[in-house]
Amino acid sequence: MSRLRRAAPASLAAVLLVTMPWWLGAVGGYTELATRIVVLGLAAMALNFLLGFTGVLSFGHAAYFGLGGYGAAMALKYLAPSDALAVAVGVAAGTVAAALIGALIVKLRGVYFAMVTIAFGQVFYFITFRWDSVTGGDDGLTGWSRLPLRLGPLALDVQHRDLAFYYFVLALFGIAAAVMGAVLRSPFGRTLLAIRENERRARFLGIPVERHLWLSFVISGGFASLAGALFALLNNFIDPRALRWDQSGNFVIMAVLGGMRSFWGPLVGAGIFVVLQDFVSSRTENWMSFVGLFFVLVVLFFPRGVLGVLRRRASA
Amino acid sequence: MSHDPSKKKFSRRTLVKAAAAAGAWQLVPRAVARAAGGEPVRFGFDDTLTGTYAALGKNTLIGCELAVEQINARGGILGRKVEMVVEDSTSGDAGTAVQKARKLIERDHVSFILGNVNSALALAMGQVTADRGILHIVPGGHTDAVTGTACHWNVFRVCNTTQMEANAVAPQLVKNAGKRWYYITPDYAFGHTLQAGLEKAGQKLGAVKAGADLTPLGTTDYSSYLIKAQAASPDVIIFLTQGADMINALKQAVQFGLEKRTHLAGAQQELEALEGLPPEARVGTWVFEWYWKQPGVPHLDAFVSAIRKKTGKVPTARTWQGYAAAWSCALAAHAAKSLDGVKLARAMQGLKLPPEIGLMPQAPFYRAGDHQLMPTLYVGQAQAGTAGSEDLFHVSQLVQGPEAAGPVEDSGCKLTWPHA
Repeated sequence: MSRLRRAAPASLAAVLLVTMPWWLGAVGGYTELATRIVVLGLAAMALNFLLGFTGVLSFGHAAYFGLGGYGAAMALKYLAPSDALAVAVGVAAGTVAAALIGALIVKLRGVYFAMVTIAFGQVFYFITFRWDSVTGGDDGLTGWSRLPLRLGPLALDVQHRDLAFYYFVLALFGIAAAVMGAVLRSPFGRTLLAIRENERRARFLGIPVERHLWLSFVISGGFASLAGALFALLNNFIDPRALRWDQSGNFVIMAVLGGMRSFWGPLVGAGIFVVLQDFVSSRTENWMSFVGLFFVLVVLFFPRGVLGVLRRRASA
Repeated sequence: MSHDPSKKKFSRRTLVKAAAAAGAWQLVPRAVARAAGGEPVRFGFDDTLTGTYAALGKNTLIGCELAVEQINARGGILGRKVEMVVEDSTSGDAGTAVQKARKLIERDHVSFILGNVNSALALAMGQVTADRGILHIVPGGHTDAVTGTACHWNVFRVCNTTQMEANAVAPQLVKNAGKRWYYITPDYAFGHTLQAGLEKAGQKLGAVKAGADLTPLGTTDYSSYLIKAQAASPDVIIFLTQGADMINALKQAVQFGLEKRTHLAGAQQELEALEGLPPEARVGTWVFEWYWKQPGVPHLDAFVSAIRKKTGKVPTARTWQGYAAAWSCALAAHAAKSLDGVKLARAMQGLKLPPEIGLMPQAPFYRAGDHQLMPTLYVGQAQAGTAGSEDLFHVSQLVQGPEAAGPVEDSGCKLTWPHA
């Protein structure tokens, strides 16, 4: 029974995601919007691995997201015409950066941790902004495009068929979500929860807290860079704004909006954020005020996010 | 917050319902539009309606709107009504511009894309439209690459290239101001190429670079750059910033009293910026891309009064660019008798704008080799006027497009067609 209960949200998410291109189209969306939701949802879930399940707030996750994007874009532009290689290079770039930065900052806590993550994020932002000859500077990196996938005799034209690209992204999202879920259910994941709930107690029990935080930061950064690589492939474009602090802030908003204590919450938050942005920005120039207003309302009335409320109602 | 539980519950419920209703309301207009049937031809307008270039983007939109009204009054395109779908690209976020371009193509099924004021955004959008095979007209993004090294078979440009502006204004700068030039340059595609163009054009005339500063788009405080520029004691400080950045930079330069010690000038100047400046800061030699006062040009008065009726103000170069861009779509469709991207692009090559749309002393045309419009450039001086005056520019010299642009080969454009 409890197993069934645990599998229910995952299967519901799977059904909704697999059918999303149809029902989103029926309510005025389009395939690319669905892809965007999945990609940004993955980034928000990656951030939430750290925020919701380890209990530290990173305000600089756009750096790893953006490095993943630039890694993928530059691999396609300068190295070899292969989507798989591009994603691999992007993830490697973001993960290595997260490992290095993480090692420097795991001793910090609370607002200091958040401040330093912003600072390091901005370092990467200014590097991409300034290094014109390699990154294209403020203009962004153009002159490349994602390509059809080839697996032996099978070819999947993700370049021109949006639907094919959606399922390619969804497949990677599924793997990433499964891995994150498995890690969270493992003893390591339970230890992260223990650190979140009471760090001092965890330390007294002999848990190497810093090492756990560092690993959690690297895993989180790694999945954020996977999302970034997919984001670059989605747009066939990447620019320094993907690394800037306001992009990091958007990820935090998505996670809080959807509910940072639940595994699927950030995906729901990303969905709300992206759809709201897409619809409202077509109607008014001041769309950010509406997103902001919505965020304020959620924090005031549903501090546990949208999924937090639904869950409480279900258990009541 | 209240401690009465019933009250609290009530307010939350109401809120959720209100939010749901607001969400549902968002879906209504599109569904209604679909049900109405009779598919119109759609123009997708993806340009800078917020941020540094908001004023420029909005004037472009006004020009497009007037053109669409006129096109519809004359029977539309291929017997179908024209409808414009407007999206804000923001002034500097190329990711948003790309997202909006894809949205216009994929969801709204537009046949034409118009945009962008920001060169970097125009370049990024060009890649999307070329990929999807949609005719794309750039009303006002100036960097050379749009119709140069990054040209596409489907992208046409109304405004000048930065090199054309530099070539047109350089002789006057040397004559009126001197040969030691200091640049204040916005740090993105447009600024980079405009400065490079001026350096190239200046070199032929013996002008030298006294120094240069790259300023991020949206800079509000130029004092540190201006102090540095003054210390280099140039003959002229060349302002290549645009939009709100131009206004801030020139205002501060005049507050420093720099116009008394050196010349303040530049390449591209716009009526929007001069209108935003105090009279004492309206100084210098510049290029205008179009001006509302051109003695002897037919149909000009009708256009000026039509825009004045819409906005209460005279049209600017941006208004004309939007107008010419939207009309070009209709002209191309009439010539091609089709909405197929490739056929439209072929029809656009060499297309001459008729006098009532060109509104210039010589009819502008789209050069076939690089898809660049060959208009007239207006070199002259800003004039102070008074607070409310509209005539803020004195045209002293007309330069013809082909002369300013040089041969097609210099543009670096190599067109590759999808079915070729």
